[in-house]
Amino acid sequence: MITQRVGTEQYDYDVVKMFTIMSVIYGIVGFLIGVIIALELAFPELNGGIEYISFGRLRPLHTSAVIFAFGGSVLFATSYYVVQRTCKARLFSDFLSRLTFWGWNLVIVGAVVTYPLGLTQGKEYAETIWPIDLLITVVWVAYFINFVGTLAKRKERHIYVANWFYLAFIITVAMLHIVNNLAIPVNLTDSYSIYPGVQDAMIQWWYGHNAVGFFLTAAFLGLMYYFVPKQAERPVYSYRLSIVHFWALVFLYIWAGPHHLHYTALPDWASTLGATFSIMLLLPSWGGMINGIMTLSGAWDKLRTDPILRFFIISLSFYGMSTFEGPMMSIKSVNALSHYTDWTIGHVHSGALGWVAMVSFGAIYHLVPKLWGTTTWSVRLINVHFWLATIGIVIYIVSMWISGVMQGLMWRAYDHYGNLTYSFAETVGAMHPYYVFRAVGGIIFLVGALLMAFNVVKTIGNKTVSSVRVG
Amino acid sequence: MNHATIEKSIPLMAILTLLVVAIGGLVEIVPLFYLKSTVVKVDGMRPYTPLELKGRDIYLREGCYNCHSQMIRPFRDEAQRYGHYSLAAESMYDHPFQWGSKRTGPDLARVGGKYSSLWHQAHMRRPQDVAPESVMPRYPWLEENELNFADVGSRMEALAKVGVPYTSDQIAHAVDDLKAQAVFQSDNATLRQRYGERIAFDDFDGHPEKITELDALIAYMQMLGTLVDFSTPQPETH
Amino acid sequence: MSDKSKVETTGHQWDDDEGYPLKEYNNPLPKWWLYTFYATIVWAVVYWFFYPTWPMVDDYTRGLLGWSMHKQLDEEMAEAQVQQKPFNDRLEQMSLADITRDPQLQQYAISGGKAIFGDNCAPCHGSGGVGSLAGGFPVLVDDDWLISGTIEGIQETIQTGHTAMMPAHQTEFGGAFTASQVDDLAAYVLSLSGREGDKEAQARGGVLFKGDAGCVGCHGDNGKGSAKDTSGGSPMEKTIGAPNLTDGIWLYGGDAAAVRLSIAKGRSGRMPAWRVGSEGLNRKLSPLAVKQVAVYVHSLGGGQ
Repeated sequence: MITQRVGTEQYDYDVVKMFTIMSVIYGIVGFLIGVIIALELAFPELNGGIEYISFGRLRPLHTSAVIFAFGGSVLFATSYYVVQRTCKARLFSDFLSRLTFWGWNLVIVGAVVTYPLGLTQGKEYAETIWPIDLLITVVWVAYFINFVGTLAKRKERHIYVANWFYLAFIITVAMLHIVNNLAIPVNLTDSYSIYPGVQDAMIQWWYGHNAVGFFLTAAFLGLMYYFVPKQAERPVYSYRLSIVHFWALVFLYIWAGPHHLHYTALPDWASTLGATFSIMLLLPSWGGMINGIMTLSGAWDKLRTDPILRFFIISLSFYGMSTFEGPMMSIKSVNALSHYTDWTIGHVHSGALGWVAMVSFGAIYHLVPKLWGTTTWSVRLINVHFWLATIGIVIYIVSMWISGVMQGLMWRAYDHYGNLTYSFAETVGAMHPYYVFRAVGGIIFLVGALLMAFNVVKTIGNKTVSSVRVG
Repeated sequence: MNHATIEKSIPLMAILTLLVVAIGGLVEIVPLFYLKSTVVKVDGMRPYTPLELKGRDIYLREGCYNCHSQMIRPFRDEAQRYGHYSLAAESMYDHPFQWGSKRTGPDLARVGGKYSSLWHQAHMRRPQDVAPESVMPRYPWLEENELNFADVGSRMEALAKVGVPYTSDQIAHAVDDLKAQAVFQSDNATLRQRYGERIAFDDFDGHPEKITELDALIAYMQMLGTLVDFSTPQPETH
Repeated sequence: MSDKSKVETTGHQWDDDEGYPLKEYNNPLPKWWLYTFYATIVWAVVYWFFYPTWPMVDDYTRGLLGWSMHKQLDEEMAEAQVQQKPFNDRLEQMSLADITRDPQLQQYAISGGKAIFGDNCAPCHGSGGVGSLAGGFPVLVDDDWLISGTIEGIQETIQTGHTAMMPAHQTEFGGAFTASQVDDLAAYVLSLSGREGDKEAQARGGVLFKGDAGCVGCHGDNGKGSAKDTSGGSPMEKTIGAPNLTDGIWLYGGDAAAVRLSIAKGRSGRMPAWRVGSEGLNRKLSPLAVKQVAVYVHSLGGGQ
């Protein structure tokens, strides 16, 4: 993997390469487990009565694999790449770079081993048991030092906007992770959260919502702020907008957690704060979309020839759609219908597949030839991947919209005497066809990712070494 | 302040970011610990019996919260389908909470006493035998696995450290109390003395000769929502 | 902003050693964006005045509307009452027999009973009362009633529940008979519904059935069922719930192994009591709800 070429001493590309490869692998693993559990919901006999692959144990594996393994690897790879290039400095410490790589992968291996065994904290998106949580903390501190240390070596005095977002992501995730996972250990694997009931619920969704807000939004906006202008070869649309929407976003996002707990035993006041701040969050979220799309606006002609740009434009469109849908779903009366249903699942996936995965694919296709000094093996295959991913997402989201809204309406349907029309079991029965469609959408999306893996392997092995860097 | 000042300084950028992201959490979380209206105490709440606690651990282990909520919302349809809306006090001994976020299956906040243990056994063996529409997987291993209950006392000790009011007497007799509830028709007078009268006793798993994980899980489910008596008015909780 | 800002960048530049360097325009904030952002802030602030929002020292701001989610529920329930109260009042006053003679009221009761049945009873008795063999949950749509098939009897069973008390007969399970004696008993029981088998075993089983095993006490001399319930406390006639063994309808499955298992290990199927105040709080049915379920179940086809 160590191929010294002109200029590479200046940058540590090896760790970027390692994380890039892992992101492709973990993406496939995460999507595959997603397809498996989608099929388990459509055909519940599928686990064959085997405890290690039952839905309840695999679902955390799916969410952790896509968020922390795939998303995390993409963010490590891109943040290490972006911070080096925008600071014109090698990463602060080779040791810390390796520590974060091996540490993060150990965390993921730990999750892969423990979840199927039923070792869990029982908190969504924070299921990893306490020893793994400690390891995450160590890796994260190393990441922070490495990132900030690199920033300190920068040649341009102004810190580039992408790095603001990466930095906010690293700081906030540290805060969320530590506070939410405080627990009293019982033994080497089990522990109990120090917070009881309603307080635990609030802290969990403060964490859970901002895992979306900072892991899957702020950090990927950082990614967007580097790769979109770079690929479009256009200046960022508005520096001023990036300032306003950055600070508004990081301030407002944190408040939105309680909208996951509307009409629960969480007090009314907290619920109101969650709803109103979610509404105020809409435009700051859109600031990133505007800056991204308007940056591309001078390069529309390139969309015809450059499928990477197409990944970026569609990801920004899905980003805009799901950041609109989110505040709508946080309105109490809408949430009363959507909560507990598949609508939420559809919403999450329009963000996670449509925005996070699509913008990541674009970044990976941009990165791989640059890192290995080759040319893309097949642009056409990127195009095929683009269409498979898009079609897969649309099938997925539409099935979940229909099943979610339908189930929400069926739960509260009354006959003309004012009695409930459907039993819960009947509403479950009505979901079946949509669970099948959803799995089909997921399979199509997975096939696209497999094509990407193939293309990446071929690109790395491509003999057509690009000419010496321009610069 | 000119933004250029901030974006040229790492410490300024980092500290300002931390301050800005800390505010929302502080305002939303801290008052929950001191406002008395957050958790209004109600009669009937008690910590889990040792068998229920082991059952709850299995509930977490199997990831039941991925598909089942334990939080009835104050809506007409939910009141009719599931019963009285859930109170904050009803999860005051839960570490972590198990309100859930998805109802692929029905809410379980008040499932206790609703079905016979025999039904639960059949349902866990193969849910589709009793509910053909169900998408729940089978859990055949629960009635095969003998329950490991040697550690239940240390689990209660850990919970006592985070505020669950287990007495030293309850912790000392954890294993005896567990057996008294799990072994059908055994003498359970001291268990009732320590935890009150609202405890389910049954041959939970249909295997009177052994104590299995299914015993614990069904004992936990048979307790859910049965501690607070809603046939008498409860204190105003808002 | 002058037009210049659209073409000139801020002057900072990053990553200019390869590919297109990163630069930034400094376009003004889009007006629609800014004003919509302001609008959401105004909306939020106004909302805060009307609804409970800000935590204070020992309470929180309650909002001008005095709204709370629990008051919202009270209003919803009151609205539902307006629609249902006229029906409910009559249902409460009228006897079950009278209800079934009033088609409109009966329809109402069936609608309510069906809704309650779907979430509370169907998990055992199956959707529409088709029963389930998995746990010995009786079919409610046929004429084979274990306890009572009259509408009053159904109401009573829902309220008080029922626990089967078929004891174990084989020694390993606490009974008094050897495995081969249990085989004989099973052979005899199967012969009652006309099933073929070893005649000698059937004969031996018959002696036990009518003699030492004491089966006739519950299942009757000819296995046709069920002794009357004389425990008292009930105004109506019902039985102790021992099944008829001659009709070919089997609660726990009619194959030889299942029948043998019932005799060997016994059965203790249990229907929970649904009356308010019975064991297991809060998932119980009001007298009105029980009445509606009784009307519904009685209407399923097997009501007597």
